[in-house]
Amino acid sequence: MSKLREAIISNCEKNFLLKCLKENTRLDGRSFDEFRNIKIEFGKDYGCCCVYLGETKVLAQVTGEIQIPKSSRPSEGILNINVELNPIAAPNFDPSSKNDLFTQLNRTLEKCIKDSKAIDLESLCIKMSEKVWALRVDVNVLNHMGNILDCASIAALTALCHYRRPDVTCDGEVSIIHRFDQRDPIPIVVHHYPVCITYSIFERGQFILADPTLLEEGVADSFLNVSMNAYKELCGLHLGGKAELDIDVMIKITQKVGKRAVIVVEQIKRALELENSRRSKKESIGFHNLVSNSNEIDDNFERCFDSWRITPYKKKHSSNNYDSPQLGIQENKSDKMEQRGMGSAVLIPQGFEEVNKDWGGNSEDDDADVVEIPREIPSVSLVDSDSEEETTIVLNAKEQTKKKWKK
Amino acid sequence: MSGGIGELVYPGNILKNIRSNKFVCIIGPGLKRNDNLPNTLIVTRVGTLRFESPNTYWVDSLQKRYIPKRGELVVGIVAKKAGATKKQKVNINVGDAVYAKLLNTYKEMEPELVCVDSYFKAGSLGVLSSEGFVFSVSLNMAHRLLSIENPLLRTLGKKYKYEIAIGMNGKVWLNCAKTVDVLKIKEAIEIAEKKSDASILNTCKKVR
Repeated sequence: MSKLREAIISNCEKNFLLKCLKENTRLDGRSFDEFRNIKIEFGKDYGCCCVYLGETKVLAQVTGEIQIPKSSRPSEGILNINVELNPIAAPNFDPSSKNDLFTQLNRTLEKCIKDSKAIDLESLCIKMSEKVWALRVDVNVLNHMGNILDCASIAALTALCHYRRPDVTCDGEVSIIHRFDQRDPIPIVVHHYPVCITYSIFERGQFILADPTLLEEGVADSFLNVSMNAYKELCGLHLGGKAELDIDVMIKITQKVGKRAVIVVEQIKRALELENSRRSKKESIGFHNLVSNSNEIDDNFERCFDSWRITPYKKKHSSNNYDSPQLGIQENKSDKMEQRGMGSAVLIPQGFEEVNKDWGGNSEDDDADVVEIPREIPSVSLVDSDSEEETTIVLNAKEQTKKKWKK
Repeated sequence: MSGGIGELVYPGNILKNIRSNKFVCIIGPGLKRNDNLPNTLIVTRVGTLRFESPNTYWVDSLQKRYIPKRGELVVGIVAKKAGATKKQKVNINVGDAVYAKLLNTYKEMEPELVCVDSYFKAGSLGVLSSEGFVFSVSLNMAHRLLSIENPLLRTLGKKYKYEIAIGMNGKVWLNCAKTVDVLKIKEAIEIAEKKSDASILNTCKKVR
């Protein structure tokens, strides 16, 4: 099978996206600073986890082996991060050629996790300048729907936190690697939790979107990814594309990233806790558990469809109202509005069928009119002003009459 | 497992008791002749087995990769501009969406597209306005949207004013006056993708 060309972003998509941004909407209905949902799942093995960021999906696996340390750092373990971009993620990815995206991802991840000294490498030493643990994090992108980096950084970090290495004891010359059933495996020492967070920049910083999708990534002028830990310490920063960014904007983004990093790290910790408690309770663990949940997903679809079923009613409603653009914006917002929409959806058919078939949709306007009447009260002040005019007229009239009298 | 008509079949399933017309049976995607056993078929894809009387069998699967087929209408995006002569100036830019017909589809060659019918008239084919929006659906959904029995597009048409071009390659071009409407229709199609035909029909009946 020949390699597929990279999908071109059509002018339609580009124009439409920019048009949407000018109307303050995003294609998936998120607000500009909103991120997609993160879901973290763990495999049966230690150090194996799968992270979903919306539809983007990344699998990370940590493996460890014993090696001779680098001569420059004889008492430190080795950490390697390796990103794989396979055609499974996107058809145009070629695993044999290391392209820009690959290099950039790999390097940024290394900067984020390795260079920020999040992992205590010295604790991985078994015998100085002879034996150290060499950890390798394999990050496989399973689905590319934009923002691989955020997803991969969460996956790599979570996998490292989840990983357990076998205990090693040194007995003079001989060192023994203990099996998991002989001695409890040892987790890696993690000093802090740095995560990458990406923002896309459009129209020279006019629009800044958090967590861009594939299309948004393609259309954006540039991107800024910031790695930060939960203590809001900067661990790395990368500005790519043809960027022209104010310092103020940059600082504003980093502040936002700080808030977001706290949330993400909390979520990672919670997921790890849950997983550990499940393991200690000896519940069944691993990806196969996810398969049986498929029925629940079906229910979600059902709910989705309900919301859709309501929207046409709503649309009808808004098309009959005068201020439809306002309603349109409200429709985009989430659940609360839907409930309100449900209410209106129930109301419409009643008024629709019973009250008057001749007038069609006018019955729906009743509500709007009731609201609008009090708004029209200010117009009463107009009458007041009229009365003022009247008084002046009267005064004039008096003057005139005086004049008349004088005459 | 036998796998009756309308049931889920898996690769490797063997179909027996094939109905044929004058000893001829037409098989579509997802099926292969079983060489080991005469008069049987072997399934090569996961999906629902379909049958059209008198003798056509195929498997409806959720495939996303498009395999070009001669005569089908597709929505494509211009990747490269070449071959414009002085006589024929083409007003097309890279990145434009076009609605075109597949002229040639040979395995060894890149498929060829034309934007005119056999009378050299453009008809509804040609460059699609850059005002709209292009998105992808699964091939199955494209087929379903185009089927006459599917009421989804007609029902949406009662509520929204829109233009749509659905390519057999799963690309859909959509245009409305308002961006909000485009997003709503896109959402509706994406949700309907996960729904069965029957439930779409049901909901469409409710929406008046």
